[in-house]
Amino acid sequence: MREKLSESIFDKLTMNFLRNQVLKNAYGNDDTVIAGLDPRILILWYLFFGIVPWFSGNVVFLMGCFILVSITTLLARIAGLVLLLFGIGVFSQTGYLFLATLLFGGDASSIVPLLVLTLKIATVSLASITVFSGLDPDRLSNGLMWYGCPERFSFSISYAYRMLPVLMEEFEGVLLSYRLRGNPPDCDTLKGKIRYLIYQVKIIIHAFYPLMLNTAKRSRTTVEALEIKGYRYAASKKEAKKVRLSTLKVSFDDFLFLAISFFWVSLIIFLSGYF
Amino acid sequence: MEMKKQQMITQSQKLMIFVLTMALYGLATLFTELIPKLQIGIVEFSVEYFLFIPLTLGILFDPISAALGAATGELVFSEIMLGQFGGLGELEKFITVTIGVYIAGRLVANPKNRKMVGIAAMTGVVVQQAMGMMVDILKVQFAVEDFESVAGLPQSVYATEGFAFLNDVLFSGILFCLLPTLFLVPKLYGKIEPLLGMQPRTEKTAIGRINVKVIIGSLAAFGVAIVSEFMAESGMELIDWEAGWAESKSAIAIAMMAAGALAVIILLVIRKNHNRKEA
Repeated sequence: MREKLSESIFDKLTMNFLRNQVLKNAYGNDDTVIAGLDPRILILWYLFFGIVPWFSGNVVFLMGCFILVSITTLLARIAGLVLLLFGIGVFSQTGYLFLATLLFGGDASSIVPLLVLTLKIATVSLASITVFSGLDPDRLSNGLMWYGCPERFSFSISYAYRMLPVLMEEFEGVLLSYRLRGNPPDCDTLKGKIRYLIYQVKIIIHAFYPLMLNTAKRSRTTVEALEIKGYRYAASKKEAKKVRLSTLKVSFDDFLFLAISFFWVSLIIFLSGYF
Repeated sequence: MEMKKQQMITQSQKLMIFVLTMALYGLATLFTELIPKLQIGIVEFSVEYFLFIPLTLGILFDPISAALGAATGELVFSEIMLGQFGGLGELEKFITVTIGVYIAGRLVANPKNRKMVGIAAMTGVVVQQAMGMMVDILKVQFAVEDFESVAGLPQSVYATEGFAFLNDVLFSGILFCLLPTLFLVPKLYGKIEPLLGMQPRTEKTAIGRINVKVIIGSLAAFGVAIVSEFMAESGMELIDWEAGWAESKSAIAIAMMAAGALAVIILLVIRKNHNRKEA
């Protein structure tokens, strides 16, 4: 039974699964309510829910914010892998802290401050998941650019999403060819298992050698192609930026989204006064 | 002929180094995000960082481009793409990674000198991890308001953070930074530079040792990381819901609610009319 379980987990964690999840996350959900909103409005919205929760210690207020961002996360239809990582991340930030507190002589009274901390972290990360995973990378980088974010950063976002599948495929290829030629040690005994683990890590590090050379060549091609199109000139000229950003448009839906969020926040502020 | 003294780097070559480091380190951090962590008690054995990639590239190429590329790569690939973007905390990570890689890159004048490469790799990791630990402790102190009054919490935070630091330096530092860097730098030296159209770095063309300016710059950047956390603390009093205007709070909240509800209704009506006109 246990063997079966671990087998199915490892089956899921293959390169292909990873690649699919990342791609699905990036380009798979551009028909959702969240993806249809204007990136500038969403970033503004994120600034509120990404910052304000840190400053409040009121459990009701934090709970209200948490409920709202959970709903938007559902609306954005985020890929499962991302949500799993979110769960692990929240636990590893506060769950272990709670256990350690108990170990050092704390008691159940430490739950409340830790609950506050957990709610803060969960709200802030769900807000960022909504905005950064719910949006198309190109729209996201355009929105960031509108706010005067450095051109290099918004370029990095679009570049990363496009290059990642290629890079992963290449890394997998290099890794497989090393494995084909290599002779892994036995992994029956405990000593053998440790040796096997060291062998695996060594292969991964060795695989980065050809990968570095290949990527160096590719990044040169990329930059040269960018230069041909006048990338560095366009990055500093206002006119070019204007043309690029002309596709952004704020609609009624965006205002509606903001107004509903505003209504909800004022409602929980009102309620937090009574509890 | 002042230019000849330094490694000649054009702006587009800097961009190439940036793109190269960003793509490789981003890919690596994406894996570390997914590799399961082995936890024995509170001591964590994890493949914390593939920091050897930016360290190697920072030693071979322009350190500042490699450092910025690594920090951006981590931010974009493993934080934004996986939706783990945490606002304030990311600024600190960005700055500490940049400083760590930059200092390591500046330390090495001649990549053929293996002893220096090893020292630089370890320095980079220790600097980065130590700064990360300091900011982590501060962060918990700010986020939990009655930090001191919770029994056992301060000690547990110091203990877990201290453990994490030692464990990261000794385990990931040696296994995943020192050894791979020592292996990769001599192997790549002289081979990877021509691919970007550059001369390999030698004693003569290095951009000079670490001087006071670098240290002051690093300290200032680290100050920014801490200040952003301090701003969070002072901000607490500004937007505290239990503040002096508590008596009239309900009234203000009701007014805000009414305004919000009104805005929603008006927008719905406008949209309906607008759609009808278009149809």
